This record gives sequence, C-alpha cells and structure tokens, in this order.
Amino acid sequence: MTLRVGYAGLSHLGICSAVAAADKGCMVVGYDPDTRIVEGLKGGDMTVVEPDLDDLARRCKERLSYTDTVADLGACDLVYVARDVPTDDYGGSDLRPIDALIDQVAPVMKPGAHLIVLCQVPPGFTRARRRPGLSLFYQVETLIFGRAVERATKPERFMVGAADGETPLPASLADFLGRFGCPILVMRYESAELCKIAINVCLVASVGVANTLADLSERIGADWSEIVPALRLDARIGPKAYIQPGLGIAGGNLERDLATVCRLADETGADAGIVRAQMANNKRRADWVLHRLHEHLPGSGATIGVLGLAYKENTHSTKNSPSLALIRHLTPHALRVHDPVVKAEAMLHPRLVQVEKPLQVCDGADALAIMTPWPDYRTLPVEELGFRLKGRLVVDPFAVLDRKAAKAAKLDHWVLGAPRH
Amino acid sequence: MIEHQRQPAASPARVVVLGSRGFIGATTVERLRKSGIMTLAVPSSELDLTAPGAADALAAKLRPDDALVVFSALTPDKGKDIATMNRNLAMANAVCAALGKQKVDHVIYISSDAVYGEAPSLVDERTPAAPDALYGVMHLARELMFRSVVAANALCILRPTLVYGVADTHNSYGSNRYRRQAAKEGKIPLFGNGEETRDHVLVDDVAELIRLCLTHKSTGILNAVSGRSISFKQCAEIVARQFDKKVDIELKPRGPGAVITHRSYDVADCRKAFPSFRWTSVEDGFAKAHRDMMAGGGG
Repeated sequence: MTLRVGYAGLSHLGICSAVAAADKGCMVVGYDPDTRIVEGLKGGDMTVVEPDLDDLARRCKERLSYTDTVADLGACDLVYVARDVPTDDYGGSDLRPIDALIDQVAPVMKPGAHLIVLCQVPPGFTRARRRPGLSLFYQVETLIFGRAVERATKPERFMVGAADGETPLPASLADFLGRFGCPILVMRYESAELCKIAINVCLVASVGVANTLADLSERIGADWSEIVPALRLDARIGPKAYIQPGLGIAGGNLERDLATVCRLADETGADAGIVRAQMANNKRRADWVLHRLHEHLPGSGATIGVLGLAYKENTHSTKNSPSLALIRHLTPHALRVHDPVVKAEAMLHPRLVQVEKPLQVCDGADALAIMTPWPDYRTLPVEELGFRLKGRLVVDPFAVLDRKAAKAAKLDHWVLGAPRH
Repeated sequence: MIEHQRQPAASPARVVVLGSRGFIGATTVERLRKSGIMTLAVPSSELDLTAPGAADALAAKLRPDDALVVFSALTPDKGKDIATMNRNLAMANAVCAALGKQKVDHVIYISSDAVYGEAPSLVDERTPAAPDALYGVMHLARELMFRSVVAANALCILRPTLVYGVADTHNSYGSNRYRRQAAKEGKIPLFGNGEETRDHVLVDDVAELIRLCLTHKSTGILNAVSGRSISFKQCAEIVARQFDKKVDIELKPRGPGAVITHRSYDVADCRKAFPSFRWTSVEDGFAKAHRDMMAGGGG
C-alpha cells in the first residue's frame, strides 16, 4: 500500500522535507493556509533557494501535491507539522503558528494516522500538546540552510520523541523512516526536544573555540588555517568538526536554541554561563569586518565593494546576516554590492548600488569585503579583481580568494585567523 | 549600544557644562565653542555643588531645552577615601535634585571605566560594572542616581578610560606623568617591566566624542576608549621618543603581592554609533601632548 504523508506549513523546512518524502516513494500532500504559497508551488516556484531542490521536485512531481485546504490531509497516514518557527532578533520563538497548525490538522486526520511535530520547539512543547485520540510524536529536524535537500534525503539518523520512549514506533512511521536507511533513535519527547538543542549547542561551542583561537592567532602571529588540519586529524575532534572561524552564528535557529538553553537554565537553576559566553562571543565576531574596514579606511567618502548579502552561501536567507549588519554601519561610504539571489532593499543604505556581476563591485572601490562565501566567488580571477579595485584592501573573512594569489596581486588581504600585518 | 535621538545631527539649543575648568571639561567647552555651539561653562568656583542651596542655584540656571554635561567630580588624586566618595555623591545629589526641579532635554554624565573594576578583557558596554575601588563605586552610584531622575531617552553615560593631554591635572600613572618626569628628571620610572596594558585616549578626542553625543542627542552607555591597548613600557617608550635628550626608562620592583592586570576594549559600539569618528593614535597623540608642553601649554 502506498504511504501517504502530509506536510503542514510550507516554509523552508516543510518544502524540503516534503520533496524528500516524495523522493522516497511516498505520496505527499503539502498543505499551507497561505494560498499564494500554494499557488506558487503548484506553478513550480519552490519559494526557497536550495541546491538540487528544483530538480528533485520536478522529478517527483507525480507524487507531490499542494493544497490550501486542510481537509486534503485527511487521507494521510502521517502528517508532519513542519513550519519553521519564527524567531525574533533575540532568539525568542513564536510558537503560535505551530499551535495554529496543530489545531487545524488534528481534527481532519483519519483514525490511525499519526501527527509528528518536526518544528524547532522547546522542551516540554510536545507533551503539552497531547490530547485524547491524537497519536503525537516529535521528530528532530536537522535541516542546514544551503544543504537542506542533502540533509533531508540522506539523514545521518532520525531522532524521534515519543510519550514514553520505550513503545515501538507505529508501523507506518517506522516504514516511512526506514526508507531513508539510517539509524532511528526513539526517546522521550523531552529528550528529543533537548537533543535538537544539544546538537546545535555543541556546534556553536566548536565554532566558538575556533573563533576564540582564530582571534588569538591573528594577534600573536599564528595562522589558524595551519592549525585546523592538525585538529581534524585528532580522532577526538574529527574531520568534520565545526572549527572554521566565522562571523558569528546567524540564520536564527542556533540563536534560538542558545536562548532556549538560557531560559530553561534560569527557570530551573542550571548554570548557562558558558552558553552566554558563546552568545557574547558570537555577537563580537559579527563585527570583525567592520573593525578591519574602520582601521584601514578614512572616516567617510570611500567606496566599498561588498560581495554577498545572504547569511551564508546557497541560501536566500538574510536572517541575522553579517553582511546586512555591516552595511547598516557603513553609512559614510558608498557601496557596490552583489549577491546571486538576494536583492538589497533600498532602505538598507542611502548610497548603495547593486550590480549584476560579482567583479563589478570592485570597479573603482577603495576596499572589498567578501561577506558570503558563495561558490562562484571562489573562482573570481584575483588578478583582474585587483586590477579593477582602486584600493588594495580586501577583507575576506572566509578566505574565499586564494591567499597566495591575493598576495601576488599585492592585495592587502585580511582573513579570519591569519596573522595581522 | 547608544542610540541617537536626533537624526540628522544638529546643535542643541545650549549646552551647560558643570565642572568646566577641569581637564576634560575645559577642553570640551573649547571644542563646543569652536564648533559654534552655545555653551554655558559652570566651574566649581562659580557653583559649589556640595554647598547648601546648590540644587536651587543650578536649577535656576537650567532651561528645558538645555543639554547638560556633568564633569564635576573629585578625582582620585584629590582623595580615594570614603569622605571623598561622599562629597562626590553629594555633588551628584545636588545635580539630580536640580533636574527634579528643572528638566532638561539631554544629560551627559561623564563617568569612568573604573566602574568595570578588574574585569578581564575584552570589555565592552555590556560588561557588568563591578567596581573594586570607591572611585568606581562612586561613578556607578552616580550613574544610577542620574538614571533614577533622567528618562532613558534623554541620558547618555560616557565612561572614559585613561585620558591624556598636556593640561591634565591628575598626574596619574601613565603618559601624563611620564612626560613630566622625563622633562624634569630625564627618566621615567616604571613598576616591574611595565607590562600591564591599558587604553589611552587623547582629551581632544574625548571632547569631540562628547560633541558628537550632544549633536546626535545620543542616549545609553558608551565607553570612551580607542580599542588599542599598549603596555606601560610601550607608553613610556613613545613618550621618551618625543624628547631630543636621552630619557631613561627605569624599571622598579613592584610592591609585594602586586598583580599584573591588562585591559582591552571592544569598540564596536563607538564605531557603529559614530562611523566617521577616528581616535588619534597614541603615537600622534603623545607627540601632540609633547608639542603642547614644549609650547608652554602646561605639563
């Protein structure tokens, strides 16, 4: 029998998860109360930018349908509530849209169907939503912006929260998850909810270590890029460890989880000092480019090229984007910006020109800041870039440009973790 | 992070400066007048804030559209004891009482980075104030006093670090004292190896920062710090280089139990609030102070 899976809430998480389920042979119904989103998806507009998403959706279109009628979920064996949880600038979550979806979906589900919360909810959320006659589960989502399709179709493991964590999963849910061929870990709701947070806090801690030591490297003449390979070869740290320095966490999800840990710790008397230190460190990292520009440019009147507006590569998201934060503080200067998918809003800066091709940001610019490591930027011809720049200053936190080539082009090339000069 | 209540920037109707003959106060008055801002300088000789009736006298001078800048304080060279702290609190009490009688448009309180005590680097405006000496306690108490009587959208608190300039009267350990010792004795004594690091700001820059806060009607807390810390030995070496004659740097043993401390600042808030503002480098600033001294400006 064909497994029917519904996804309620067609934001980034819901769309990518729905397409992945269709890829595994399920008949998928995507529901969203917003007619415009549904009509867009029906017309082939995936509304989010993710590598391979459009292609995969096209290949699975026979098994994918979209609706703004919640009753259409009534035939599904499993219904995922999969809307991304909106967050504010301080990492606070607005859970009302999730509750609204649960309230819409639960009454229309057929007997024997199961509701799975896939959203980023705080510990305690799922158990508090149990109600008579509703089979309710929580599943940890591990979507990564820019790698969402890969993560949704080839997960490393599933973590599923259940009421008691000991009863076997119902057959339909076990069947569905089994199609992905990865381990399935079943645990209590609260454990699964905290598990999601724990993953993110571990990642933030790793990045925090990298940021702290990269900063120190810059100040004492060490080069963090020389240290990273040594760390990766340490089995206790590992080849995929999050030890590349960055401009602080962004995107909203990690910030939300850190805020949740602090709130829960405050409420229960646990010590969250280390998490607060990570939050402070991350705020500081976002200013790294601003400091380099400020130290090397006059107070006003310069032209600065900015490559990248999205908060990271391969996404359209600008939530807490270091690039946008930087641009807001460059008001005494003129800006030339480029991003492959994000359009700069006019409100962002009084003298901002968005150009079509990356190298055009360099034309006549006194300095260049490479704020998003889009893959296309890595192949820019450094010599030509240097030729088109009026000044020599290139602030390139992620070392998008080849460092040797930058040196050969006589660029004043600043990279996170590299010795200051 | 401070916020600007006035965009675009414009001169306030009038600036009243309390403590206008002090080191930073006098420089600020000069800076404001040079930029055409109407300024009423009120030195302690004209208004003793510890005297009975000081609050009424001050209230009588104030207008609703004034900006008030409060420098008045007995600095540590005048005493570090409880009595000095209480006199400082009495001054603030008088100013707060005056503000209770006559509100003004904007208040800038010149505090001190002493409120951070021995907080480890990196310090920024969100570092919890934890003073470890009465001077820092006094400034923190005065900050809270002003916050209790002035609305948040009208109060700016500036916390300067070590301020240098030829007209300095405090002669604290640092470049001002080094310059005078080098001129007078041909040597600069340092404790230990002078390895402790501190941030140093030129008084003219602090005055300019105050002017910017006034014209933007900035509110909130801002550290008046450059973001570059150097060791006292580096500081002494830069001062010594200004002299034509040889200046010896003498290393003296520290007292028993002396702890080496460092202080560095994150200046992101200042750079965001005033993106065109630049601090004078210590190399240029120390040279200026030296030139001013040689020109007979003090010192």
